[in-house]
Amino acid sequence: MALIEVLHRRATKLGLLPKVIGKLSIVSNILVLISIGLILCLPLDGQYRRTYISENALLPSQAYSYFRESEWNILRGYRTAIEALIDKPARVRNEVISSWLTDFGMKHAVYDNAADGDTLYGVYNSQRGDGTEAIVLAVPWYNTDNEVNIGGAALGISLSRYFSRWPIWSKNIILVISENPHKAMKSWVDAYHNSLDLTGGSLEAAIVLDFPSKSEYFEFVELYFNGINGELPNLDIVNVAISVIEHEGVKVSLQGLNLSEMYTSSYFNRLKTLLFGVKNSALSGTRKLYGNEAFSGRRIQALTLKACGTEGHDITTFGRIPEAIFRSVNNLLEKFHQSFFFYFLVAPRHFVSIGSYLPSAVCLSISFGISAAHSYINNQYITVPLSDNSSILALIIFFGSIAISFIFLQINETFLQPHLMILAFLLISFLPLTNIPQPLITIQPCLSYRLKSFAFIYISLVLTSLLVMNFALAFGMGLLAFPLTFTKSCSEMITFKSKVINCFYLAISNPFIAIFIFVSIFEDDITNFEVFSDLISSFKYMGNWTWAITCIGWFTTWQMVYIANLDTPRSALDGDTKKNL
Amino acid sequence: MVIISNIPHSSSIKVILLCFIFILGFLVPISYADELVETHIQNKEVEDVVKNNDVKYESKTSFDPSSEIDVTDTSILTSLDNIESVKSTEQVWDTNIKTKDNLYYEFDESLKITPLKSNFLLSSFNFEINSTKYEPGVSSNGFDEYSHYTVFPKSINRIIRQNSVRELHIRFTRGFWDADSWGRIPYDGFKAGGSGVELWSVIEASSKKVAYKKWKYVANTLSGMFCTSLNFVDASKTTYPYKSFIPDYDVPLFDGKNQLFVMRAALANENVCTENLTPLLKLLPTKSRSGISTLLDGHKVFDSYWHSLSIDVKTICEEESLVCYDNLKANVGVVMHVPNTIQRNRNPIPKPVTGEGLRCDTSKYHDAYECFPLPDNFETIFLLSDLFGKKLQGSNLISNNPSSVCVEASKDWKILIESNGEFFGTQSNCFDLTNNDKNDIYFETKNSSSIVRRDNVPLFVSRSIMSNSIGRDGLRTVFRNPTNSAKSVLYFESLPWFMKIYLSTLIVEQAIDTTTGMKFDFDIKDVLSTLKYAAASDRKRPNQIEYEITIPPHSTIILSYQFEKNLLKYSEYPPDANHGFEIESAVVTVKGPTKYQSRTSTLLLVLPTPDFSMPYNVIILTSTIMGLIFGTVFNLLVKRVLTLEDAERIRAVSGPKYKLKKLKERLLSRFGTNKNA
Repeated sequence: MALIEVLHRRATKLGLLPKVIGKLSIVSNILVLISIGLILCLPLDGQYRRTYISENALLPSQAYSYFRESEWNILRGYRTAIEALIDKPARVRNEVISSWLTDFGMKHAVYDNAADGDTLYGVYNSQRGDGTEAIVLAVPWYNTDNEVNIGGAALGISLSRYFSRWPIWSKNIILVISENPHKAMKSWVDAYHNSLDLTGGSLEAAIVLDFPSKSEYFEFVELYFNGINGELPNLDIVNVAISVIEHEGVKVSLQGLNLSEMYTSSYFNRLKTLLFGVKNSALSGTRKLYGNEAFSGRRIQALTLKACGTEGHDITTFGRIPEAIFRSVNNLLEKFHQSFFFYFLVAPRHFVSIGSYLPSAVCLSISFGISAAHSYINNQYITVPLSDNSSILALIIFFGSIAISFIFLQINETFLQPHLMILAFLLISFLPLTNIPQPLITIQPCLSYRLKSFAFIYISLVLTSLLVMNFALAFGMGLLAFPLTFTKSCSEMITFKSKVINCFYLAISNPFIAIFIFVSIFEDDITNFEVFSDLISSFKYMGNWTWAITCIGWFTTWQMVYIANLDTPRSALDGDTKKNL
Repeated sequence: MVIISNIPHSSSIKVILLCFIFILGFLVPISYADELVETHIQNKEVEDVVKNNDVKYESKTSFDPSSEIDVTDTSILTSLDNIESVKSTEQVWDTNIKTKDNLYYEFDESLKITPLKSNFLLSSFNFEINSTKYEPGVSSNGFDEYSHYTVFPKSINRIIRQNSVRELHIRFTRGFWDADSWGRIPYDGFKAGGSGVELWSVIEASSKKVAYKKWKYVANTLSGMFCTSLNFVDASKTTYPYKSFIPDYDVPLFDGKNQLFVMRAALANENVCTENLTPLLKLLPTKSRSGISTLLDGHKVFDSYWHSLSIDVKTICEEESLVCYDNLKANVGVVMHVPNTIQRNRNPIPKPVTGEGLRCDTSKYHDAYECFPLPDNFETIFLLSDLFGKKLQGSNLISNNPSSVCVEASKDWKILIESNGEFFGTQSNCFDLTNNDKNDIYFETKNSSSIVRRDNVPLFVSRSIMSNSIGRDGLRTVFRNPTNSAKSVLYFESLPWFMKIYLSTLIVEQAIDTTTGMKFDFDIKDVLSTLKYAAASDRKRPNQIEYEITIPPHSTIILSYQFEKNLLKYSEYPPDANHGFEIESAVVTVKGPTKYQSRTSTLLLVLPTPDFSMPYNVIILTSTIMGLIFGTVFNLLVKRVLTLEDAERIRAVSGPKYKLKKLKERLLSRFGTNKNA
């Protein structure tokens, strides 16, 4: 206490507080730099940890995997038979595959869904189990790139046949063959929990197989595990999967990066894996959907295994991976309970936990809060009471903006014209340069400051409530929206140049323009303008909240700051200044 | 204002006092932490509440020798009449052991084997024991009386006599009965339970309270006897069925003043294993040393797709005389997959079959690398000992009826009994084990899918948990009637108290005609005739739902209702990581024309689990606050409060800076003097 007291006295003597208060905008900017710096620190040695299997019962790869030898002949047999089915309609296909499932005693049913495609699923009732839990082996007929998942389908069926001969299963095994890995899979998962008559208990884990290659060989496995809304599977199952894959002598790639980046340990490779993880998590649901996303939100630990390349390991190796993962999950007597539900992998065997990366999002959210304080305190209107007209008007504008955002949220993806929307927002952003809005709206400087203050405190609250659940989105949104705090109120803008810069900041921090720019630079999977229709459809069908948060959180803030930046007639400004002085 | 540390000498007592207050203050929040987690439960949406759960079964007549008692089991009566000697055989194990020709005990055993579809085989072991006759109400403790049990197990006898148990039923079942392909459950489902352990009993007692006490005693005793967790059966698990499980005959009442109470409890997904089978075999006079029970080996019984152990004890009174006897029926049912079991005998590790062993579909492309597999082979030859790992060891030597083995198979099967390397066959496929040798049963067929029809299942029922949105979940029950007559069904369900049921949400979700696909427009009142509901009471009583529902022919009716999950007290959660709470299966009884009982699968309920680090957090926070308060109060008590100016002045003559200056001066002066010297 004594030390604090001394420091306090020293600070008071030097008059630090008023100085800091005077430079709040700089403090806010420094916090953003700290936030980015914290993220950049994470891949440094000592900042990340080695992954470990928390639940001892999982024992990955401790049992020998037998999916080999003559099972390959059977796999080939199914593969040839499936090749003959490729051009057949889904109904015929499902009928034929159903008869195969009957042959090895799997109960099966078809979930009819005219809109998204029928899903055939089979339930194998385990011999040792009590029938209350199940593991899912999911195979989308067409994968995310719209290729026929021949290898995956053949593997799914031959693995199910192979599993049905084992007496060891304590959890039911469910084989799901859906039309596609997104809408059809998601609708099946929803139906399973609501309306299907043939069920096999609560789903504990799900493995999605993707092997579209015509070849019987593959080089490495891409592992996808990002769920919707920043949700991740328990770190244990990811560790088990990586451990099993590497135990089979196969290399694993995370976040779609190439192998050399995965397996050469350097700061920049780790940073790249981390940043791609953040980006992919933020855009999850909008990017390609691999199938594991469909299980998100129901405490089902889901992974997608994708076989890449055409040479190297044979297809039975790819089959042994789900086999070993299934055997591990089968060992579990309880739910997955590794203490890490939020993490980022920096390498296949290294991760950073939420405790390490969360401070950077917290800094970002605080910096918005400080910006809000800055717009409230550091001007002559601080003396104006909070119950003043301008505050009330600012509140009304706030609710108005939220209402507009809600209207935006309702836009159907078919009505949306992304080109027009981007162009319109660009024009709107640079509107304050002209004199068009002047006769229509006049914004008093006091109102302008209050609006900004309210806007920043609002986005700060949105980010704070989001940052634990969906760190990637909160971080990305905070960074992209941050230029809003650079905009100066009209009373501070004198030259035309500063006005142009102001409008530029407004433009690049507009949610739609910012998302568009970000996606076109950093994301190869999404072709520029499609991102908006993707966002809307994933909001509607996949339960992805990114679009809603963008509209309600970010767009509302932007509207308020924009209104605050509308030009004020100089006369009004002068009069106002005089009055207040 | 500044506080400067300056502890007076007399402050030590104050310090001790403060420490005491601190510790006191620290303890209080911890004791509150427990209560914080306590939940308050309200359930106002209960429509049909049987507030007073006095659903008891009253016998119409008390015990009266003149009243009509329907002794249904005529086989026992006939066995009493035809007293025949045990067929003496030429080969006796030990010539020293002599059996009296006319000595027999009331014990019967038989094994019934039924091939099922897709190469499954059901073996059903039946044992029946009658106790010696006794007069009800006459104490056997008199000095000239003696207790004689013969073959009836003494342990069971004690439980029954001490607690006036008129009926006792125990079920240990595990596995999935595939009614779609296997057909009816053996004994129409009346000898199988839901997954786990089930216990119900009819107890004669003067009041419900006494009955519960006896029930608890029975459960505890059985728990020790069968190594099960039946000791966890308490009021919160015990139900008093209203119509299901009620005996359909007049149960004898020994004391006219008493009443009969039916009580039931189930432990869902309790593991069933060897330690349950061994006590069951110990009840038998043969003790699995001879007769059909020699086959019952834990390794094989529990390595099956479905197995069920059951024990039923009944008190039966003869109408003409005043005597009663206890009847015990034990049954072990096992379903095995024949090819898999034989494969496991050859190689316990399910290695891929060799290239020659592959059976390929020749109608499809196949070569040395490729093979589209054929379904299971229907041509099969096997011996019973292949499945059970043992041969039948002799017959039972104590009853007048030899142990019998019957195979219920179609004409396509060739069934023979093997004894001393010789094979015999009979027309009925039934064999009496009359020698004391090792016997085996030989099965051969070209088409194992040819079976005796068992697929006239009157009703299929399944139940699942719906989780459509955050918050309320639902239970969904699907009734499917595949027959062409309407079925009146009794549905019994007991749910733990932490499921808060909204009975007002009970609806017919869907009703479909399965032949035409037409949807009926049914209201819940159209299908449900009676509904009895006993609302749960926290930690005291489970939810009990019983209703009668009529399922029209060839139709599916889906009922659903919603429920809410309660929070438990934090000490009520399992101490370790768990997979959820087990919900016992619902029991469905088809009332006629042939009675049939089946059970749904059990369910898993995942309750919202609180953050268990909360008590820890509370402790940490309170300690911090206490520490801060202690520090402040301590400072206030032992330090002087001064103005800033005073403090500056004192610091100028006593602060560390001043002392340093003094030291420097002194040193300098010394060195100075030295220099001077």
